[in-house]
Amino acid sequence: MARTLKDLRPVYIVGIGWHPYQNPGPTPYVTLGVTAIRAALADAAIEWPAVESAYVATALLGMAVGRPMLRHLGATGLPIAHIENASASGSTAFRQACIEVASGISDVALAVGVDKRNPVRRESTGIDALAEDAIAQFTHFSLLTNEYAHRHGVSFEDIARVAVKNHRNGAKNRNAQRQKERTLDEVLGGKRVAGSLTALQCTPVGEGAAAAIVASEDGIRRLGLDASRAIRVAGSTARSERVYPAGQGFDAVLTKETAGLALQEAQISARDLDIIELHDAFTVEELHYIENIGLCPEGQGVHLLKEGALEIGGRCAVNPSGGLIAMGHPIGPTGVGQIGEIVLQLRGEAGARQHRGARTGLAHMVGVGAVCYIHLLQKA
Amino acid sequence: MDALLKPSLYTPAATLLGGRCACGHVFYPMQTHGCEVCGRHGGDLQPMTLSGRGTLLSSTVVHLHADKARPAPFSIGKIALEEGPVVRTLLVDPAPSIAPGTAMKATLVPVEDGKRDLRFAPER
Ligand SMILES: [Zn+2]
Repeated sequence: MARTLKDLRPVYIVGIGWHPYQNPGPTPYVTLGVTAIRAALADAAIEWPAVESAYVATALLGMAVGRPMLRHLGATGLPIAHIENASASGSTAFRQACIEVASGISDVALAVGVDKRNPVRRESTGIDALAEDAIAQFTHFSLLTNEYAHRHGVSFEDIARVAVKNHRNGAKNRNAQRQKERTLDEVLGGKRVAGSLTALQCTPVGEGAAAAIVASEDGIRRLGLDASRAIRVAGSTARSERVYPAGQGFDAVLTKETAGLALQEAQISARDLDIIELHDAFTVEELHYIENIGLCPEGQGVHLLKEGALEIGGRCAVNPSGGLIAMGHPIGPTGVGQIGEIVLQLRGEAGARQHRGARTGLAHMVGVGAVCYIHLLQKA
Repeated sequence: MDALLKPSLYTPAATLLGGRCACGHVFYPMQTHGCEVCGRHGGDLQPMTLSGRGTLLSSTVVHLHADKARPAPFSIGKIALEEGPVVRTLLVDPAPSIAPGTAMKATLVPVEDGKRDLRFAPER
């Protein structure tokens, strides 16, 4: 790595927008996408022709779906690139938009994630597997839940409290797919999918869109944008899985490596984080990731959770949007939506979900493969 | 003797068809695309039979599975083989709760079409 994002031109998020995440339905993806982009343009107070480049994140819509969507904003001829990186598609699109602005190639760029729930297609590698067809995502995370509970002497009930918190946050978010508070009994009493994992501890994959517009200082000046609402991208890192010792899963190690690099880039420590939006597709993930981001030692996450340190208003608000468990996980949009939530929080515009005095936020996303993306955002 | 469901992955003796790279990395299953550690490929990757013995890292009972060809409930285990690779696959059903750290051994069980498939069970 010759340079980090921080070494290049400063990049700011100037506009964010969503189409609410929702259960799969008949809404065309074009409606989802343009709704989010128009909201982001309005938030930035700019017109579409000011956007010089677009990155479209989608995992399940198929080939080249961006132009047929973006043309309805006015076919300005801007460059369009499609980004597919599993759950991290949106985070990747956001990083590429930031890199383009930081490099000086563009002053204003868009990252938009849009998806609908479609079957996942993955070509065979030509290498057979014993029974991979029998191991759904929730089964992978059920294995991890059992491993975590056994290693750290933690109960399944305590792990499930992650879902109670995130459903509570999601209940205050009008863009969330699930907007209902749940008691621990409700979470534990739901339909079991694998091991101790119940449906309310798993993300509901749905549909939706999220958009973020990033700009350089030149762009902000030239377009006369409100610099006081702009949020600085203070760090951006990405890594992929390597070969680890037997028994050491990528789930923890990859996050530790990627987050460590991002904190180093922004020259801050995990203690400085006010907000974390992370990939809680399954409850145990939140504990794994806060520990590996560095909020607390391994195995101690449940203590923070139970003492309220991870609540809005606590030491560090984790998944104030509701996270993947309540806000939802439409795949392409998810990573962009995390950025939007942190921007709301740092601007002080998060309403009922506002974590007071938030100045620094971290967005974390992992994707099948496995890849990990971290972004650090700071109030300018 | 019944035919194996996946003869490219294991033998009638319930040993596993893995591989070893010239760099020393042991992997499963055998492939010649390239070594995940060093990138060597082709003839630098040689077949190596793995004992089918290992240690359980974690297991779970799957209550719900979309694929109707694989009706739930069934049990999945994550096993660190004694030669190094970690495999995730089906356990012999019904699997009571098995503690992580339990010694495991591969075995063959009858499945559809008169074939046999590999499962893991606690070693006796
Ligand atoms: Zn090698």
